[in-house]
Amino acid sequence: MTKLAQWLWGLALLGSAWAALTLGALGLELPLSCREVLWPLPAYLLVSAGCYALGTVGYRVATFHDCEDAARELQSQIQEARADLTRRGLRF
Amino acid sequence: MAKGTDQVVGLGLVALSLIIFTYYTAWVILLPFIDSQHVIHKYFLPRAYAIAIPLAAGLLLLLFVGIFITYVMLRNQKDTKKAQ
Repeated sequence: MTKLAQWLWGLALLGSAWAALTLGALGLELPLSCREVLWPLPAYLLVSAGCYALGTVGYRVATFHDCEDAARELQSQIQEARADLTRRGLRF
Repeated sequence: MAKGTDQVVGLGLVALSLIIFTYYTAWVILLPFIDSQHVIHKYFLPRAYAIAIPLAAGLLLLLFVGIFITYVMLRNQKDTKKAQ
């Protein structure tokens, strides 16, 4: 089974479980506070997934291992290559 | 770009995501179990907004992504027409 099929299958299972519980199709008498938590659950999971993504991106940006020397060396090598190629007749 | 501003932006994003996560978790998960007469309910909007605000934000995001894609595609089309 492909990854997409696995994800869709999992989502379908969780979605149907949530729908069955919120619509009371199983005949369970959940206490009111549990119902109050249950019905926004998909939105909650989406928002927390978004927060996790945002936080991970921010963390990786903040802890990025920048190599200043290597960057400068690369830039000078690029300039060198450009000069060399223009001398040989290549137009940029 | 210097690493200083990168760090500030990154940590800002982390802080923002933590704030949103804590507020939203308290709103959706914790509030139903707290007595409705407690003073903390004053700091949270009515529960229907817990779905409406993320939904509106998501739709806005999709709108901006669509506009950006349209803009880039039109610009590419114009460039290829000019090249011809």
